[in-house]
Amino acid sequence: MGSPPATVFEFLFKYRPVVFDNGQFVLHAPWPVLLFIVIGLALVIPPLLSYVRLGGKLGTADKALLAVLRVSVLAVLVFCLLRPMLVVPTVVPQENYLGILLDDSRSMQVADAGQARSEFIREQFGPEGSELLTGLSERFKLRFFRFSESLQRISGSDELTFTGSQTRLGHALDEARSELSTLPLAGLIVFTDGADNSEDPLTESVLQLRSRGVPVHTVGIGREQFERDIEIARVEAPRVVLEGSAVAVDVMVTHTGFGGETVQLNVEDGGRIVSAQAVELQGEGEVTTVRAHFEVTETGPRLFRFRILPELEELVDENNERDVLIHVRDRREKILYFEGEPRFEVKFLRRAIAEDDNLHVVILQRTADNKFQRYDVEQADELAGGFPTTREELFQYRGIILGSVEASFFTHGQLEMIAEFVGQRGGGLLALGGRNALGQGGYAGTPISNILPVVLEPRPENDSSTFFSEVSVELTPTGRSHPVTQLSPTPEGSAERWAGLPALSTVNPVFEVKPGASTLLTGHGNGAEGVVVLAAQRFGRGRVVAFPVQDSWIWQMHADIPLDDMTHESFWRQLLRWLVSSVPDQVHAAVPKDRAGVGERLTITTEVVDSAYLKVNDAHATARVTTPSGLEQALDMEWTVERDGEYEASFVADENGLYEISVEVNRDGELLGNATSFVEVAEPVEEYFGAQMRSTLLRRVAEETGGRFYTPQTVGSLPEDVRYTESGSTVYEEKDLWDMPIVFFLLLGLVATEWGYRRARGLI
Amino acid sequence: MNGREFYFTRAIYSGHGWRGNSWETDFPKADVQFLVGVRRYTNIDAYEYEHPVRLDDPELRRFPFLYALEVGYMALNPAEIEGLRSYLLAGGFLVIDDFWDVGEWQNFEYEIGRVLPEYPIVDIPLDHPLLSAFYEIDEIVQVPQVGLAARGGRTWECYMPCQPALRGIFDEQGRLMVVINWNTDLGDAWEWVEQPWYPFTYSSFAYKLGINMIIYGMSH
Repeated sequence: MGSPPATVFEFLFKYRPVVFDNGQFVLHAPWPVLLFIVIGLALVIPPLLSYVRLGGKLGTADKALLAVLRVSVLAVLVFCLLRPMLVVPTVVPQENYLGILLDDSRSMQVADAGQARSEFIREQFGPEGSELLTGLSERFKLRFFRFSESLQRISGSDELTFTGSQTRLGHALDEARSELSTLPLAGLIVFTDGADNSEDPLTESVLQLRSRGVPVHTVGIGREQFERDIEIARVEAPRVVLEGSAVAVDVMVTHTGFGGETVQLNVEDGGRIVSAQAVELQGEGEVTTVRAHFEVTETGPRLFRFRILPELEELVDENNERDVLIHVRDRREKILYFEGEPRFEVKFLRRAIAEDDNLHVVILQRTADNKFQRYDVEQADELAGGFPTTREELFQYRGIILGSVEASFFTHGQLEMIAEFVGQRGGGLLALGGRNALGQGGYAGTPISNILPVVLEPRPENDSSTFFSEVSVELTPTGRSHPVTQLSPTPEGSAERWAGLPALSTVNPVFEVKPGASTLLTGHGNGAEGVVVLAAQRFGRGRVVAFPVQDSWIWQMHADIPLDDMTHESFWRQLLRWLVSSVPDQVHAAVPKDRAGVGERLTITTEVVDSAYLKVNDAHATARVTTPSGLEQALDMEWTVERDGEYEASFVADENGLYEISVEVNRDGELLGNATSFVEVAEPVEEYFGAQMRSTLLRRVAEETGGRFYTPQTVGSLPEDVRYTESGSTVYEEKDLWDMPIVFFLLLGLVATEWGYRRARGLI
Repeated sequence: MNGREFYFTRAIYSGHGWRGNSWETDFPKADVQFLVGVRRYTNIDAYEYEHPVRLDDPELRRFPFLYALEVGYMALNPAEIEGLRSYLLAGGFLVIDDFWDVGEWQNFEYEIGRVLPEYPIVDIPLDHPLLSAFYEIDEIVQVPQVGLAARGGRTWECYMPCQPALRGIFDEQGRLMVVINWNTDLGDAWEWVEQPWYPFTYSSFAYKLGINMIIYGMSH
């Protein structure tokens, strides 16, 4: 059964569009063309002359119109006499093979067209047979395949289960092409919803088929848009966090049919709800991004579930939740705080983090010229020589806090080293305000100013004036959803709390942030309207924060702050934890995703650097993979050669559960470091995400390979269309065009128009 | 307020009878003169002048270092008790100086007991970080009042000879909230240091301990 436009086309032009697409236009005149030209001129010239000579009441325009009509009629007749035709390559019946690829993945169970998508396949290829199957079998030898994660040859539709956990369209096309490469192949027909969820690039597969001239016809099953459905399209969460940290996770929600409605988003840790919030969904076609906040309290690999409670009438419930594996670490992150003068900020920062077992701030404080005090050092000789002068010494820390210390205190090499600490080592830098900090400390134009998120104005020479302002802080829209500035479970609560805090003071007029930086807090005060209070940005592999105020301890000491208030403590903990939360170790191990399916091959990638954070290619790296059942497998990791310091090994995950991957790296018999990563192996659920029929993708595959795209409504014409191909064993058929109904209608139309016009002008 | 980091803040408190203004002993010369030393020997951004604040003034909590002396005559009213208690529990640091003998001790012990009843007074050992916060101090010197210092000989103001003591009050986390200099008079040493006849031993010790207390109070 053809679609109405295609049927009209076929009625007028005698053949289906596919014939015109594949055919070559030729003129097969029985006599020499010259003779036709002579006959044509003989037929055209007399009437033209007669119109020219015609007198009476006819004007020039009338004569021209009538002449054009008459000449057109004659031209159509001459065209017919030239015997126009299409030469179309056509397969030789029963000499060619057709590969029929049937999607056997779980998404085919979605019942979005009155019945499950799989039912259409069963109807067409079931034992009862169908018009489609008959049409195809009459012309071709058929080879059936099912595909999901892989492609398998099947003898009938009864072997389909529709339980595949992945749709790898590109892989299926490659495999089918390879399997049928020795046969005269007329093409491939793919029956699928097109919900490809693999990471395989389709382009390569399509190009291969195109270069071999194998057309791929695609039949898209299912609806392009569900009537009512909510889906968690993506969850962006940190993969590693410190125990006790406040975590902010972005959840992207898409939907159809729920615009303006409010739904409930829960975050669960091992079945326990750790966060719940109402989410108002944006309009149709828009992505609603929600930031979920919760605290991680238990260490180890934790599987967090983000779930929107299913609504009535939802077509697919399974896409309402996503799991994310977060490695909650219990370790002490070591941060160096260098303060250029005695300041209460030191005392109260130490107090704020005193009970945080995951933060260790080592303090080097200059108390007089060339006199330093060290607090909370681990070894007696730590920082004994003052601020580090070597990469090895500085890069052992994961974060640096720069207090009120002038830039000229450092050598240029040290300033560059601090910038490299962030950019190359991936450490965090926090620049505090103060009389010798930022612009007032002469940092403008130094390597430090290059990495700061704020713009430092150089201080004019001989300028002894000082800037001082008390500023009340205000949470910015960015700050409302940033993990550092969460003082309350809700953004509104946080904004209110920030607005209620006592004013701080600043001596650093910083008003501008760099492009790409985020302003989290601004300040308002006399002469300091809109001053930056807290800004952050990524620089290279690390993070940089500017906090250009000098007395955050006021948030602890002010008379308006109750004694049991934890604002100051929470802020500092969150700030420092965030600053160092993604700082890499000397050895960093990762698998490409935190969730995989059984049977999937996973590649472990390890990056190795030495204590100066220079990449190491001659190390010996071993990965120990522990399966959920406790079996251990040791893998030697090989340097990838393509990238310095990168080593790889792979393994096949063959059981469900949590895999632990421990990597140990040695060089010259000395331990360089180790790292642990986790991957959750479970039944993949990707089939339920983005499960709408993707006609754009299927059209592209078809068009780029010379095939056509069909739907269940148009698939009836497929057996006939597939015939016209140059692939396989073919013959050339000639299709006459002179007897197309359109030609007759054209002639009729021209003659009728001429007659009508003459009559209207009183010539007959 | 002018945005300086450190204010040598002197506590204004209520006192007994004719010594009701005992808080202002040596004021303001001792404070200002001590600050000269503080600014000279350290790089603290210190306000140069005296800075007295009442214990019941809410602004007190803006100044996390507090100095009080002659506390043998202290008689706190309820508002002062509440002000000082919240100051100390929030993170303030109090230095006590210039009170002598058992009678004055008992008065101070009573008054501070009204402020922090749950925290005992204990000795600060010589190896405590307070005594190495800036200068290394290995003994507690008894600093006499200026008259005795000028005459030489007796260094105590007690009825009988008495020893100087360095005691403190710690919070639950072992953090020092109050430093008590008993049977000694650091303030006089600060006040008279410019006099050539004032013994260097006393002024040197007083400045060292005073600066150590400030550095410690600003960092611990």
